[in-house]
Amino acid sequence: MKKSGGRGLFVGLCIIPTTVLFTLFMVVPTLEVFYYSFFGGFSKYNITSKSFVGFQNYIDLFTNSTIAPKFIGTFQNTILLIVLVTIITFAFALVYAGILSREKIKGQNFFRIIFYIPNILSVVVISSIFFNVVYDSDIGILNSITSLFGFTVQWKSGNEVVIFSLAIAMIWQAIGYYMVMYMSSMAAIPESIYESANLEGASRVRVFFQITIPLVWTNIRTTLTFFIISTINLSYLFVRAMYGSRAPESTYVLLYYMYEKTQDYGRAMAIGVITFLFSFLLAGIVNAVTKREILEF
Amino acid sequence: MKKVLAMILSVLMVASLAAGCGGNTDTTEGTTDPTATSEGGNAEVSGTIVVKAIETAYGADMWNEIKDAFEAAYPGTTVELEVSKTLETTLANEIQAGNYPDVVHLATNRDAKITENMINNMQLRDLTGVLSLTNPGEDKTVGDKIIEGFTETNATNPYGDGKTYLMPMFYSPCGIFYSANLFEEKGWTVPTTWDEMWELGDKAKEEGISLFTYPTTGYFDAFMFALLASTDKGIDLYNDVTSFKEGVWDTEEARQVLDVIAKLATYTEPTTTENANDIDFSKNQQLVIDGKALFCPNGTWLPGEMADSTPEGFVWGMTAVPAVSADKNPTSFTFLEQIWSPQGAKNTAGADAFIAFMYSDAAIDIFAKYGAVQPVAGIADKLEGDNKTFYSIYDNGATAVMGGFVATTDAGVTPADAYFTPVNQLVAGDITVDEWLAGIKDANTALGAAVISASEEATDAAA
Repeated sequence: MKKSGGRGLFVGLCIIPTTVLFTLFMVVPTLEVFYYSFFGGFSKYNITSKSFVGFQNYIDLFTNSTIAPKFIGTFQNTILLIVLVTIITFAFALVYAGILSREKIKGQNFFRIIFYIPNILSVVVISSIFFNVVYDSDIGILNSITSLFGFTVQWKSGNEVVIFSLAIAMIWQAIGYYMVMYMSSMAAIPESIYESANLEGASRVRVFFQITIPLVWTNIRTTLTFFIISTINLSYLFVRAMYGSRAPESTYVLLYYMYEKTQDYGRAMAIGVITFLFSFLLAGIVNAVTKREILEF
Repeated sequence: MKKVLAMILSVLMVASLAAGCGGNTDTTEGTTDPTATSEGGNAEVSGTIVVKAIETAYGADMWNEIKDAFEAAYPGTTVELEVSKTLETTLANEIQAGNYPDVVHLATNRDAKITENMINNMQLRDLTGVLSLTNPGEDKTVGDKIIEGFTETNATNPYGDGKTYLMPMFYSPCGIFYSANLFEEKGWTVPTTWDEMWELGDKAKEEGISLFTYPTTGYFDAFMFALLASTDKGIDLYNDVTSFKEGVWDTEEARQVLDVIAKLATYTEPTTTENANDIDFSKNQQLVIDGKALFCPNGTWLPGEMADSTPEGFVWGMTAVPAVSADKNPTSFTFLEQIWSPQGAKNTAGADAFIAFMYSDAAIDIFAKYGAVQPVAGIADKLEGDNKTFYSIYDNGATAVMGGFVATTDAGVTPADAYFTPVNQLVAGDITVDEWLAGIKDANTALGAAVISASEEATDAAA
């Protein structure tokens, strides 16, 4: 008893520094976001002039005639990006992973590296690749192709187009990383299962959907949650790196709107709280709807 | 054991929370500490003068030279100088803690709005007395040296009571830039009215050159201000717009300004909107150098910014914005940096002497050497090359406009977003002038309600 008490004390002492740091730099700031969201009339340069406004910041975001349309539009953009980017990225990542790990094709490693490269580039580099090489109106790859057919598209400022330009860059960036993740878990599937499927005469597509996908399902679930949450962050980074502080309104995403377009600290914090809760909710929903038995008979 | 651990941890959590709160209360108390001031000016100048200056494109070196020159002119004084690009962050904290510097060089129209807050809270010292000071070894007063008009607008006299609270430091006129070479080559003359402008636009179109481009929509502030000041209503319309006066956008004159920009949108180089962002804007500026567009609204910094991609022999031209009304002069908005002294300043006599010293011949020369140009008589003679042309814009008959939007709290919309950003959509044909105007009207109402008005007792203090 005495011995284990001493060990407990030791363990306690050991985790104190981490706990203090974690509390100071994670818990307190997070709580402060909630706290400040109930105040108004101050910016980061005059925090002392704040006054308590209750839930007014939240009400403004959804009902104020000037703010609400922008905020709701921003929310819609964010959701569109989450849905679009997630679906396409996962579809491509899974198919590519399936092909590269199951099929015998020449230059497998080459493709693996090619697909993975975007992931080691920083968002700033990717943004400038897309902005200057792919989307540029004069020398861009896409407009060089479309001009063969006699039309050009304004990839960077056209109102309905820009959000998709953003999505393309995000998908391009993410596919490789998730592909490698799935390849590693596909490699862990025992070869014997595939052999027996072969003997039963299952087609490749059937094998992919009925053996490969179910057996990497836990991996898909985890990465899906990660991905959705990181999309909220990444979309901000992309918009910020591509447009600086002058993004077209059709590319506003939650964090961008919070950081660039809200001077009122209290309202910005309210957007922060909504983003925070939204991420949690989304992660919860994704977790719930993807829950299933790994092995189905 | 678990309980003890849990208790230690929760005590820590509470303690750290309390520590956070404690810090906050301290700073709150600090700001409510009013410091009395005396109108120095003729008092003996001595001791330490605390000077804070924002470092802009001109660099920090010139301020160090100014410090040395001042200390040489006033033996026995020490200038405690801080020049920093991130001055606003530290300054905001110091002001909140009641720790005021004696002199601050920080302009209005910056994101942090510290200067605006000082104006709104009536925390600036009246510097009218500085205008009648004379620098050591000179016979002209400061007021006599400053170009007429620069100490008479709301950029320096924010309360409109004839008293100067901010002194005009560096100015940078904006206008429309063009390639002087191209105009010479084609034998075209630079238009001075909008009718001539449209005529030239059609002529240029035949040769495959667009009339107009712009770096980003942000550059429409200076451009629109110049237009607003040149309608039949003159400077009043500009003042009403920048102070978000109710109904100002219902006037015929305001509509004329938007119509000019809308017509200009139809003459705009088609790839402009694609590159009208903070990253690619120089591609738009390059259009003028490459002879693909004739005019681009900009400021005096443009030639320096584009120096790397400007071919040798290229000559920039700059002209004022043609007037909307036939009876008015072309107009040019100028950015103006101000220097001021807070009411909490401890060494007021020193502050006044230092600010006056900014207009001494020695200081003017030092600033001019670094390209920082002050509104003092004969300044154009001290400049060379392009700058000499640009800064003589007012000598050539253009009307000067300066200042900017009054400070507001966050109304959910910024003037930039409602007034200038839609120009991109206008050029792309996504919106009409009416839709643009409707958005501006909404923003004007929202911003008008959010204008930070000075508290009553502060108004009394100033009056």
